[in-house]
Amino acid sequence: MSVLIRIGMSTSDIAAGAEATYQALESAVRHRQLPVTLKRTGSLGVSHREPVVEVVENGQSTLYGPVTPERVRPLLDQHFGAGHRGVSEDWVISRRNDRSDYPFLGLQTKVTTKLCGVIDPYSLDDYLAHDGYEAFKKALKMSPEAVVQAIKDSKLRGRGGAGFPTGIKWELLRKSPGSPKYLICNADEGDPGAFMDRATIEGDPHKLLEGMLIAAYATGASRGYIYVRAEYPLAINVLRNAIRQAREYGVLGQNILGTGMDFDIVIKEGAGAFVCGEETALMHSIEGKRGMPRMRPPYPAQSGLWGKPSNINNVETLASISSIILNGPDWYAGLGTEKSGGTKAFALAGAIQRSGLVEVPIGTPLRRLIYDIGGGCANGRELKAVQLGGPSGGCIPAHLIDTIIDYDELRATGAIMGSGGMIVLDDTVSMVNIAHYFLSFTQDESCGKCVPCRVGTRKMLNILARILHGQGVMEDIDRLERLCHTVGKGSLCGLGQTAPNPVLTTLRYFRHEYEQAIANRQNGHEAALAA
Amino acid sequence: MIKITIDNREIEVKPGTNVLQAALDNGIDIPHLCYHPELVPSGGCRMCLVEVEGRPNPVPSCGLQAAEGMVIHTRTEQVEAMRRDIIDLFVSDHPLNCVVCDKNGACALQKYAYEYNVAETSFDFELSRTLYQDDNPFFIRDHQYCILCGKCVRVCDEVVGAHAIDFSQRGFVTYIATPFDVPLAESSCVFCGSCVQVCPTAALLPRNKIGKGREWELERTRTVCGYCGVGCSLEYALKDGEIIYAQGFADAPVNGEFLCVKGRFGWDFAKQPDRLTQPLVRKDLAYELGLTDEPWELPETSVLKSKPKAENYIPVSWEQAIDITATKLADIIRQHGGNAVAGLASARCTNEENYIFQKFMRVGVGTNSIDHCARL
Ligand SMILES: Cc1cc2nc3c(=O)[nH]c(=O)nc-3n(C[C@H](O)[C@H](O)[C@H](O)COP(=O)(O)O)c2cc1C
Ligand code: SF4
Ligand code: SF4
Ligand code: SF4
Ligand code: FES
Repeated sequence: MSVLIRIGMSTSDIAAGAEATYQALESAVRHRQLPVTLKRTGSLGVSHREPVVEVVENGQSTLYGPVTPERVRPLLDQHFGAGHRGVSEDWVISRRNDRSDYPFLGLQTKVTTKLCGVIDPYSLDDYLAHDGYEAFKKALKMSPEAVVQAIKDSKLRGRGGAGFPTGIKWELLRKSPGSPKYLICNADEGDPGAFMDRATIEGDPHKLLEGMLIAAYATGASRGYIYVRAEYPLAINVLRNAIRQAREYGVLGQNILGTGMDFDIVIKEGAGAFVCGEETALMHSIEGKRGMPRMRPPYPAQSGLWGKPSNINNVETLASISSIILNGPDWYAGLGTEKSGGTKAFALAGAIQRSGLVEVPIGTPLRRLIYDIGGGCANGRELKAVQLGGPSGGCIPAHLIDTIIDYDELRATGAIMGSGGMIVLDDTVSMVNIAHYFLSFTQDESCGKCVPCRVGTRKMLNILARILHGQGVMEDIDRLERLCHTVGKGSLCGLGQTAPNPVLTTLRYFRHEYEQAIANRQNGHEAALAA
Repeated sequence: MIKITIDNREIEVKPGTNVLQAALDNGIDIPHLCYHPELVPSGGCRMCLVEVEGRPNPVPSCGLQAAEGMVIHTRTEQVEAMRRDIIDLFVSDHPLNCVVCDKNGACALQKYAYEYNVAETSFDFELSRTLYQDDNPFFIRDHQYCILCGKCVRVCDEVVGAHAIDFSQRGFVTYIATPFDVPLAESSCVFCGSCVQVCPTAALLPRNKIGKGREWELERTRTVCGYCGVGCSLEYALKDGEIIYAQGFADAPVNGEFLCVKGRFGWDFAKQPDRLTQPLVRKDLAYELGLTDEPWELPETSVLKSKPKAENYIPVSWEQAIDITATKLADIIRQHGGNAVAGLASARCTNEENYIFQKFMRVGVGTNSIDHCARL
């Protein structure tokens, strides 16, 4: 009876030491000639317990973590009849196949990350064994218009941040005159702390390729690009391999599966500018120009890459497509809310007990995510706020923890859905500091083109620094608010337009902290004068 | 034509016109710093923001295509306040050295700071860059004055095609640079000075202009460039009869504002002492023609081979010079036939002049030996 052992080998697993664990496993299995199939997989998202090892014996799965190299031997001993010595129950994450004994996993609804940590990302056969490319084959039997309609009906909205309905975007490209048409996958993932797209690519690359193929079929695009940041070498390697396999399998290239459809994909590596995630800057970057946004219109569907009709979608958006086609738009729409279907992945981080990658249905209350799945704040501290959407997002205070995860509901709080960064802040954190941190990021990453963003964010940052260093005055708050307005309404692209959000939301919910920081200084000053 | 309404005035514009240009064409002034009618609008300065009925947020008018029925307001409280803030931000990163600045009176930022009464920044003053580059004989680059409007980059890409400069770095410290910061001479720059022409501030200045007088002290003379047959119009800025700098002007029929390196920077011959300003006749010929009483002979080494010396010539009028040339030419043709004469035309003449010249040589003189200095 052969035993299947899976080990997560994504970038975050490797950072936690998975390479050494894998080596220990492999040499032990070889030495002891154990009846074991070792499988290197992507990440299950359990960042707080990596490296993660799953042992499947007689259809019964046990998940362990963190598994350091020293823990490999006792673990194997336990499974291969050499006794229980040394194995602690603390190492066990879950003993149930449905993971209902570990809410971090059990309470998730996985769509885009479903096979991450399950299949070998380097194996096309593994993907094919899990309905791989069945959705594409099904789409080929539908008309392109019907595919577009299915995506519209699914209520899928762009996961790159802005939440524009994907089906409508596809229809615009489909109807736009001109050829060739380009389909671009945005895998720049520039938000600090976000790693949903990386995990998806590293865990299940063919799912992305299949989504792109269906998009190409539906929109009439014949050329594809994946714009992926160069800081993701493993993801790039996985993708290169998957593209090669897809060509050999006949789903990429010319006359795909004998249908006359032509589509191929080129990987373009970014050079580490946050602004290159903005769609017009991204297209300039692919063209070999400096990645700077330009005014819209023209929109990409009218005049995009190389002046041709183009469509840009985020990794997660595209990775959702095959499931929608396979299970039907109603199923997908049913997962979410009235206006927005499906699931969304988040990179849960900060002062949380269980950090990692989490996928939940749109409409899930924040409370469920933070407390039931994430286990609340680490070290028993009080929750103060949740920072959502990275540097373009905002802070939702603890008293709004029942807000549901939905584009419009989140926007009403002043935060945004964003691409999926979620940072939990406990009561030790200074909110002025948080605003300063995120603004210093956007300030550095401004492309320099427009003055509200280039100079305005700098002035805001200086004011925040002044307040933090106890040198603020009350008028600084008015100045900040004025600048938030001019920068937010006056900037050219989304980077500048959203840059004030961390300041605006902290001013809205934690104004007293600003006032306190300023008052402390003034009190100190008066005390000094009186002395 | 489509009808739009700007500030309650209905105007008709050609389809495809941007609202900023439409306004300017109709005498409605919308402040702007990065727009240039010859360049693709970039939307960087945000000064031209206007409000359009039915749109929630202000829109840059330079990037807004006029559409039938569009109703635009250029001076609402909101956009005027934003403009004032934007100028405030500009001057927080720009030395207000106007009293000693060579752009004083011609600077677009100064103009708007005046109009919006921004004497100094209400934020903290902080210069993002102080780089001063003096790496070529033609113009300097003084980055502290640069407002990053990007016009220089666009003119170099879109009009000149040299692609010598671009934005470099990110964030507050962004600046305009050659690739890898090589000196301009090692870049693909052709020193046409188009970037200097369109720069709204003192960031790019002709080297000769520095310290030579304020804009309003200079006289302007428009003329046609003498360097080649294209016939670009240009304007000399003069002080006390001395040329300070040359520039193009927008309504020049052939070249608009743009010139080449020779027209823009190559005018120092004008005041050279050895510049030829009138016709001269060599003394031996002058004696033979009775123009002088002093006999003179060609020295052993021919004057044709060495540099002509002024004392070997006497000045004559244009009429005399043409007369002498015509008589001599006629003599040669009479004695030796037209084929003894050859004609060499010049690229500095116009097409028409060159056409007449070859006609004259073939029909008048009777020779087909005609050539042109531009044959390389
Ligand atoms: C400054 C900035 C950075 C962005 N970075 C990303 C990114 O890293 N990944 C991404 O998918 N979208 C990013 N976007 C959003 C894209 O411009 C674009 O809207 C998105 O890729 C569209 O895909 P979707 O419709 O599938 O969401 C960014 C936008 C801005 C303004
Ligand atoms: S908002 Fe910022 S990043 Fe966007 S164009 Fe303006 S300067 Fe560049
Ligand atoms: S002088 Fe001409 S070629 Fe050189 S940078 Fe300026 S515009 Fe470009
Ligand atoms: S050098 Fe002049 S033209 Fe170029 S960006 Fe700066 S201010 Fe604009
Ligand atoms: S003139 Fe329109 S943004 Fe500068």
